[in-house]
Amino acid sequence: MGDKKDVWQGTLALMVLKTLEMLGPLHGYGIARRIEQTSQDLLAVNYGTLYPALLKLEQEGYVASEWGISHNNRKAKFYKLTRAGHKQLQKESREWQQTTAILERFLSAKESLS
Amino acid sequence: MISLRAWCMRLRELFRGEQLDRELTDELTAHLEMHLADNVRAGMQPEEARRVALLKLGGLEQTKETVRDRRGLPVLEAFLQDASYAVRSLLRSPGITLVALLSLALGIGANTAIFSLMNAVLLKSLPVRDPAQLVLFGDGLDQGISDGFPNPWLYSYPFYREMQKDNQVFSGVAAAFSMNDRIHGFVTGRHEAEPMNVQLVSGTYFPLLGVQAVMGRTLSEQDDQTEGDHPVAVVSYAWWTRVLARDPSALSRNLTIGSAVFSIVGVAPPEFFGTKVGEAPDIWIPLSMQREIPPGFHGYHDNMFESLHLMARLKPGISISEASANVNLLFQQILRGFSDAPRTPENLLKLDKTRVELNSMTTGFSRLRRQFSEPLKILMAMVGLVLLIACANIANLLLARSTARARELAVRQALGARRGRLIRQLLTESLVLAVIGGALGVAFASWATHLLLNMVSDGREPLQLHVPVDIRLLLFTLAVTLATALLFGTVPAFRATHPDLTEPLKSGRSQSGGPAKGPLAKALVISQVALSLVLLVGAGLFVRSLLNLTNVDTGFNKESVIRLRVDPGSVGYKQDARLSNLYRQIEERVGALPGVRAASFSIFTFNEGTWNNPIWVDGYLSGHRDTEVHHNAVGTGYFAAMGIPVLAGRTFGPQDTATSPKVGVIGETMARTLFPVGSPIGRRYGRGERNAADIEVIGVVKDVKYNSLDETPQPGDYLPYAQNVRYLNDFEVRYSGDAAAAVSAIREAIHDVEPQLPVSDVMTLDQQVARSITNQRLVAQLSAFFGLLAVFLSCIGIYGLMSYLVTRRTNEIGLRMALGATRPKVLWMILQESLWLVGLGIAIGVPVALTGNHLVSHLLYGLPASDPLTLLGGVSALLAIAALAGYLPARRATRVDPMIALRYE
Repeated sequence: MGDKKDVWQGTLALMVLKTLEMLGPLHGYGIARRIEQTSQDLLAVNYGTLYPALLKLEQEGYVASEWGISHNNRKAKFYKLTRAGHKQLQKESREWQQTTAILERFLSAKESLS
Repeated sequence: MISLRAWCMRLRELFRGEQLDRELTDELTAHLEMHLADNVRAGMQPEEARRVALLKLGGLEQTKETVRDRRGLPVLEAFLQDASYAVRSLLRSPGITLVALLSLALGIGANTAIFSLMNAVLLKSLPVRDPAQLVLFGDGLDQGISDGFPNPWLYSYPFYREMQKDNQVFSGVAAAFSMNDRIHGFVTGRHEAEPMNVQLVSGTYFPLLGVQAVMGRTLSEQDDQTEGDHPVAVVSYAWWTRVLARDPSALSRNLTIGSAVFSIVGVAPPEFFGTKVGEAPDIWIPLSMQREIPPGFHGYHDNMFESLHLMARLKPGISISEASANVNLLFQQILRGFSDAPRTPENLLKLDKTRVELNSMTTGFSRLRRQFSEPLKILMAMVGLVLLIACANIANLLLARSTARARELAVRQALGARRGRLIRQLLTESLVLAVIGGALGVAFASWATHLLLNMVSDGREPLQLHVPVDIRLLLFTLAVTLATALLFGTVPAFRATHPDLTEPLKSGRSQSGGPAKGPLAKALVISQVALSLVLLVGAGLFVRSLLNLTNVDTGFNKESVIRLRVDPGSVGYKQDARLSNLYRQIEERVGALPGVRAASFSIFTFNEGTWNNPIWVDGYLSGHRDTEVHHNAVGTGYFAAMGIPVLAGRTFGPQDTATSPKVGVIGETMARTLFPVGSPIGRRYGRGERNAADIEVIGVVKDVKYNSLDETPQPGDYLPYAQNVRYLNDFEVRYSGDAAAAVSAIREAIHDVEPQLPVSDVMTLDQQVARSITNQRLVAQLSAFFGLLAVFLSCIGIYGLMSYLVTRRTNEIGLRMALGATRPKVLWMILQESLWLVGLGIAIGVPVALTGNHLVSHLLYGLPASDPLTLLGGVSALLAIAALAGYLPARRATRVDPMIALRYE
């Protein structure tokens, strides 16, 4: 597992929001698994990074939480996207796409120069 | 950026910490278990599954800590922690804390209270449009009716009209009657008479001031055109609230005053109290109706009925001096133009020299100001000094405290506390102290303002003043005390947290290296002593002056007399024989009550104003024309009721009737000055310029005080009301036995004679005399309080300093005692040190006190400002109290056990 990358700052929040948008209300473990799966296990999400991020999102009002029962009958805290969270997700994905597009152009330009 | 919402959530999380912790644990446990279950499902052994899960997820506790840090507001939490620690640490030395808090509270509170009152009386602008443009003719101090020529303080109604018509400098001129009428009236449909304070004003009064009614209208020029045909009244907001319970249909109500019915046409705005500070009228009525308002003045067309204060609004761009030139020109012209004025050559010469002084009316005008401005300034200076002493005290206490804690701080630093964190904590402590003290100060200020207002209002009439606590001064005093607390609480803190740790750690209890309590602390104590001496001596002077005043011989016997006011004018009595008859009947009825020794009506008793006339005596053709005499019209029982001794001749009796020859009783000063040769009995004099010398002197009585206890003997006479029919609203009854029972019996007897007659202002003569020295008593009481407070605070200062010094010198004292020093010797050694400080303070204080007290010498009665007895008393009292404050720690020094003390080395 040593070769797996930790999620870097700033992107985790976006991943969490996207996950919740795709899957609906989900508990922390589910979110972590989903992110790991989507990254094809290239990313590792430990709860030292996940839970502070979730708390931050909740404080900012992008997600709301509620206690419920998981499908294997365990009591768990479920997070769901709020209306503000939807907006934030759209805004951040747009920004992120812009950033990657710029970076991509930048990197390919550099290659052609050299 | 953290949004507002996030802040709110964090703030909420602050108070749900434990619950959130529990939830987090549950959540993380659930996460771990789901992970485990998945691992097991993937085919791992439970043991291995657990190991892998824990490895991947990281430390449970660590995560909790990270989340917890994100939660809430760490800065605020640290502050709250500091604050609660500060409260605990302050409670550990409750004595110091209590004294510091008290000093703060009294310093802030007293300053704010006195300044607030001063602001209301002296400084606040009138709540009218552009008060800075308003000017007053004269100083507004004279009240009453005069026929003097010329008179630049009071004006007649025709004069007002001429001035209004001819001036070129004012955009408006208005007049207000110089006295308020305290009368009674009936609201339509009610049978209880309502006391009301009526202000007669010209129709231009409200328009000039730019005051709009909150309901209905104010008075206008139309209400003041022809005499007697506009029975309208504007009521004050306070009266509307108090008497009519804010009745929205108040405008359909009427007021019956005397025999006239007035319709209420408007309610004045709540902040408007008229133009005289401290005398808020209840009702404003146009001057055109003056004849209908008791006592029924006839001044509307009388050129020489000088009874009005005139005020005007300057045209834009006109200065007071330009206006003054125009006004004085007109003053000469108008008075010379009055054909019925006494234009003797003598009077015209006087007129040439008389000038009208125009004064700014920005802050209104007031007799109150003359009475209280000086006492208030003195008190302000005193509380300012008390604040200084309090600050010095706080400084000393905090110095002592933080110096004493040097060791604690060093230990904490050695254990790893950051210096910034320690300083922040010490700052928090000072802040907590200052904030609590400030809060107490604010509470004390609003309480003290009320108390002060009550003390001041103990005058002849209750004061109508709105005195809000002044926010600016409150902030100022708060800032001063906060700054003191912060400065003296933290400067030693910085020194104490100096990186060099080893010194305080090594030196233990006897901090030989702590210089913080050196010259600075001593200088503070010395100046405290000096200041308190100044205050104490000042207080002593005022108290002795008050004692002198209360022992003044008033000429009458003020014990066992009840006096009250009746208001026959408001129930329809005119000034005729029916009125005199009413008085006589009441006197007879009350005089017959058991326990009543004498009862009589009079115009005045004491400190209620005077009725003056120049008089002239048969046989003195000149030289005595200007002798003004205080008159009083009285009943036959007056001298017995007031206990005024008769020196010669007789007093009035039933034989002195309206038709019998005119008689008068005179005071001894009048007898001595106007009848220097032979007995005055049987001689004649006349009063006023126009009357013949038709009053025969039938008796001489002892002089009395008229307006104040400190006045010089005044010439005065008494006339029987049977021969001088007019409203005499004062009633005096000498009684024996219980005052309350006497009052109700007297009331009943009065109402037997005239059921509707309003009775008011019931008090004893003694109280009335006491009320005339309200401001002297105010100054004496408050200065005594502040003087003692100052001494008390200084003693705390001495005590604190000496205690500290004794603690610091424990080893030295132990050593001395081990080497054979006796206890008295040690005692003296320590005591000597505090006496030095006190002595130095007194040496500085005495000259300061002597200089300072000269400023108040004109307020003292019966003793000079440099009164040696008071000075000596102050010095010895201070010395004694200070010696006691120094003695307690000195005695503690003698209890030092040499062995224990030496073991500390």
